[in-house]
Amino acid sequence: MTLIIFLFQRLRKTLFSNLSNSIISLIFILIISLVCLNTFRWLIFKANWTVVTSNLPLYAFGSFPPNERWRPATWIIILFLLSIITLFGPGWKWLRKNLLISWVATIPLGLYLLYGGFGLSPIMSRHWGGLTLTILLTACSSLLSLPLGIILALFRQSSLPLIQKLSSFYIDVMRAIPLIAVLFFGQLLIPLFLPVGIEVDRVWRAIFAFTLFVSAYIAEDIRGGLQSIPRTQIEAANSLGLNQFQIIQLILIPQALRIALPALTNQSIGLFQNTSLMAILGLVELLGVGRSILANPEFIGQYIEVYVWLACVYWMVCTIMAVLARHLEQRMTINQANF
Amino acid sequence: MEPVVVAKNLTKSYTKGLRALDNVSLTVNQGKVLVVMGPSGSGKSTLIRTFNGLETFDKGELNILGIKVDSTHDEKKIQKIRRRVGMVFQQFNLFPHLSILENITLAPVNVQKRRRAEAEEYGMYLLNQMGIDSHAKKYPSQLSGGEQQRVAIARALALKPELLLFDEPTSALDPERINEVLDAMRRLAEQGMTMVVVTHEIGFAKDVSDQVLFMDSGKVIETSPPNIFFSNARHERSRKFLNQLDKH
Repeated sequence: MTLIIFLFQRLRKTLFSNLSNSIISLIFILIISLVCLNTFRWLIFKANWTVVTSNLPLYAFGSFPPNERWRPATWIIILFLLSIITLFGPGWKWLRKNLLISWVATIPLGLYLLYGGFGLSPIMSRHWGGLTLTILLTACSSLLSLPLGIILALFRQSSLPLIQKLSSFYIDVMRAIPLIAVLFFGQLLIPLFLPVGIEVDRVWRAIFAFTLFVSAYIAEDIRGGLQSIPRTQIEAANSLGLNQFQIIQLILIPQALRIALPALTNQSIGLFQNTSLMAILGLVELLGVGRSILANPEFIGQYIEVYVWLACVYWMVCTIMAVLARHLEQRMTINQANF
Repeated sequence: MEPVVVAKNLTKSYTKGLRALDNVSLTVNQGKVLVVMGPSGSGKSTLIRTFNGLETFDKGELNILGIKVDSTHDEKKIQKIRRRVGMVFQQFNLFPHLSILENITLAPVNVQKRRRAEAEEYGMYLLNQMGIDSHAKKYPSQLSGGEQQRVAIARALALKPELLLFDEPTSALDPERINEVLDAMRRLAEQGMTMVVVTHEIGFAKDVSDQVLFMDSGKVIETSPPNIFFSNARHERSRKFLNQLDKH
């Protein structure tokens, strides 16, 4: 009770302290409540959510054969469980040590579950789609662009002029080209350049293009990390007799990655959202599924429902990624070595 | 007595005309402690950093533990020297992303290729010697300056060096933390470790050193036993420096 009175007094003090303030406050409260009212009315009464509810498997798996849908479903559930264990699981040392390996292992596992083979019926990548494909594109591109970015960053710091210039050139060029152009290049031009008979499927061409693009940005983030490591660290390592390679591997990269972690999170969340560009280039990932459902005469004109729903899904996954990254950052600062 | 460090006419200039080292010659015999003193900018840090190849020099000759280096700065020889010479820095320079024990075992495991268990056991022994074995699992940022510096000494000792270099090891410490580091260094000297120490600590120099080398603007002004240097320095410049130190 006292709390309510306190809040009320506070509101009076902040919003209605004099006449002009009161008028402005009233107008804004009116506008905000109208917007909220209309939004809720639309969300609950006007919107026809069957376009979402009747197509849930499509959003999740695209045109993956219905009786094999358990495979991508298993993968997504494993990813989800792993996130929960990482965030809320106990802090046992062996568990924390193996978590990082488990995260990396989810990528080959996902590829195996999607491609099939070795006991599972093989499924062509053109049947992949929906959220599964979006996550796969993000995960594979991030995993590949991280080492490439590290190498580019190290080359850019190199004392050999040729390597240093080449790396700078590559990074500058990639940052000067819009992502969509790189993706077009991947989808349309790579098949022309490859010799007859060799064919890289569309999903891998997309991953390849994303990797080329993102690694340039990651290289710059890691270069920032490398540059902020004091020279005295290298001197200390030198005086212990570590060689150049060991210094890079044991001293520089772990520290640079830790410094660059917030920027790297940014890159991977950006990458996740940018995978939606592939909808224009013919991959049926999450946004692509939305577009193809809208093209169905049964659901024609229900743009708002579909896009609100897609926005929610993107928002949810991004939030999970951000929370995971923040958790990783915290663990790294408290316990500096273990995941 | 075997000489551990022999320097002959070391000369180094950063820019034309300004000499960081000017014809520096010295000898440190096995089991001896040489203290290097001098005003800031006199080249004392530069001098001991040439001993393990962190600095190059332009002229002269250096013989560390029988390994001869000249101005060509032969990388292979330098690596050989670094495996047998430990160094402790003013700012500790511990690796912040590794735990205390990992800091210490890093070089034995990766440079000397010793087994991890063995390196850890020896690391714990060293930490125990330094009185900080209870911190083995912690990270450098969780330790005080004095503790960090003792870890740095243990890290340098982990390679079982035949020569230890100290570059102003107590200059970055709180006054009440200085003694714990100096005591550790005293014990090392008593155990017969060959040491070259750049420091402003007169007490330490008086008690522990066998020779005091005084430098100014890259030149060796004088090399004397501590009892002579501190009571009756031969050179006017040394006496002036000591007077300045006393006032602090």
